[in-house]
Amino acid sequence: MIMREKLSLNLKNTSRRSQSLGLGLSAALAACFLASPVLAASDGDAIVGKIPRVAGGKPDFSGIWQTTSAADQGLEPHEARKGAPPSAGIVDGDVIPYTPAALEKKKKNYEARAKDDPRLKCWTLGTPRGIYYPEPFQIFQRTQDLTLVFEFGDSVRTIHTDGTLHPVDTDNEFWLGDSRGHWEGDTLVVDVRDFNDQTWLSRVGDFHDEALHVVERWKLIDANTIDYKATIEDPKVYSRPWNIEVYLYRHREKNFQLIENYCYTLDYDQYYPIPKPQ
Amino acid sequence: MTTTVSVQNRARWGVAAFVLALAPVIAPAQEYEPAPATTAASTAAPAAKRRPPGGIGYETSFPEIKSGKWTGKRLPDGQPDVAGDWSNTIGNHDNFTDPQGGIPGDPAPAARTRKLGPREERAPSRVSDPADGEIPYQPWARAKQQEFAVGFFNAVKPEYIEPLARCAPSGIPKSFFWHGYEIRQYPGYVVFLFGSGWRIIHLDGKPHLPANIKLWNGDSRGHWEGNTLVVDVSNNNSKARFSRTGDFASENVHIVERYIFSADNKRYNYVATFTDPTVYTRPFTVTVPSRRWTLNDPKNDWHFPVVAANSPGKEAIPDHVERICVENNGGFGQLAVQAKKN
Repeated sequence: MIMREKLSLNLKNTSRRSQSLGLGLSAALAACFLASPVLAASDGDAIVGKIPRVAGGKPDFSGIWQTTSAADQGLEPHEARKGAPPSAGIVDGDVIPYTPAALEKKKKNYEARAKDDPRLKCWTLGTPRGIYYPEPFQIFQRTQDLTLVFEFGDSVRTIHTDGTLHPVDTDNEFWLGDSRGHWEGDTLVVDVRDFNDQTWLSRVGDFHDEALHVVERWKLIDANTIDYKATIEDPKVYSRPWNIEVYLYRHREKNFQLIENYCYTLDYDQYYPIPKPQ
Repeated sequence: MTTTVSVQNRARWGVAAFVLALAPVIAPAQEYEPAPATTAASTAAPAAKRRPPGGIGYETSFPEIKSGKWTGKRLPDGQPDVAGDWSNTIGNHDNFTDPQGGIPGDPAPAARTRKLGPREERAPSRVSDPADGEIPYQPWARAKQQEFAVGFFNAVKPEYIEPLARCAPSGIPKSFFWHGYEIRQYPGYVVFLFGSGWRIIHLDGKPHLPANIKLWNGDSRGHWEGNTLVVDVSNNNSKARFSRTGDFASENVHIVERYIFSADNKRYNYVATFTDPTVYTRPFTVTVPSRRWTLNDPKNDWHFPVVAANSPGKEAIPDHVERICVENNGGFGQLAVQAKKN
């Protein structure tokens, strides 16, 4: 029930956003002029109030974040299913532009999702799924990089912001991709390439191939909310690039922390009883 | 000898990372690099100079580092700046109390280790207290450790298979002598990124997690005392063995770690006290000598699993390959999956 309440709140905000973008934007921009030393980038929602900044003025994404959306239950709009709340989706235009052959594969994935979803084996979720998966992740930020530590499966992703480029050799086939970021105003833009084909994008079988290329746009729209956008392309699977957008909320509960979740060990935990005197 | 790792090596390292990750399952031999002969070990020169950092265990002795003031550079939040890449200097997890002595009971020791010289020419036990270098097990626990050690080469029960071989985290203290690792620091945190899992050391004084939550790497609270990071570890599930010699604690273990950094910021000694009245007769101390690695060091995929980033026209910057034990992503039967894929 709590989940559903949060979800409806989120949807309400989303629809209000799109309906009154013009008015809201100018009002928020005015607020931004007053409160923020750096003008908000033109894309995405405008910044409301003060956002945390690191020395040097860049936005400070440090913190523990989590979506309240049902994106992992399906990126496209969907009705309620058993065990899954309904969602208006996070895909711009509602539909993922699968090629006909890829759409067939997606349907097969959907049918086999109770067995084949990598999440069920606690495999690394990948990019962008780890971002909107409903389990917290923590961002640690330095000038030269951002480190994303995901509670689920304890994977770690580094976004390099030191001006380094993607590796010359791009056949490493990483689970999380190779992430190189740069700043455009207050927006962190991250180019992610060099994936393997082992991850899914949701638990209903949305998938990609090794040609996956993700461009993320990270932006704090207030002190405790990140507007996360990503453009996803993979000519082997989609007929054109497509976009998603989801909000990430800061965990502010007292003493909240990541709790390691090496869930892939759960299947063999039973074989490691703590020795006791006979 | 080249001093930097070429960019072209990146793809190969990607493969090597997978091989290393699987090494405990396939053949420990792949992980134990041959070290130079031990005959020079009796000279009086400092250990680090006697042996170039080529193999895994390349020192037979190491300096004590005293706790004291920190005189080196600091981060803006006041922490001593110890970020970077580190690795132990005396050996891997084959043998806890005789780090260069090979795995006890190894049916094919010659294939895995160099010819052993006398005990006194090898690195000392990681148990620095008590003086005999042995873990002070209660009798039943000693028997269990020896059962595990025998079982390592004859895994007739699932619990004889080292959890690390299934990509479980190395835990404490094994993470400090299983491949090189990275320290990243932030206001309020010291973060360890190991080859098998991470640890977040909280410096903000928040209380430990509730006692019924047990974790592979425990729950860590730390603070700095001069040149020393002091960390209190509780909530340990103690499923990770210390070594291939079957050494263990129980989930009642309480660990106090002291990471004592040298003034030149090139070395630190990990000195940790283990207290567990349900397994040991008294607390004991573990010491693991460690040193910093940079791109100026000779290539070494075990200690320093990095490549030079693609940064044309700039100084060499280390790039860390994605830290994923590929077997995580295959569960049991990964070897068969791999074979099918190849």
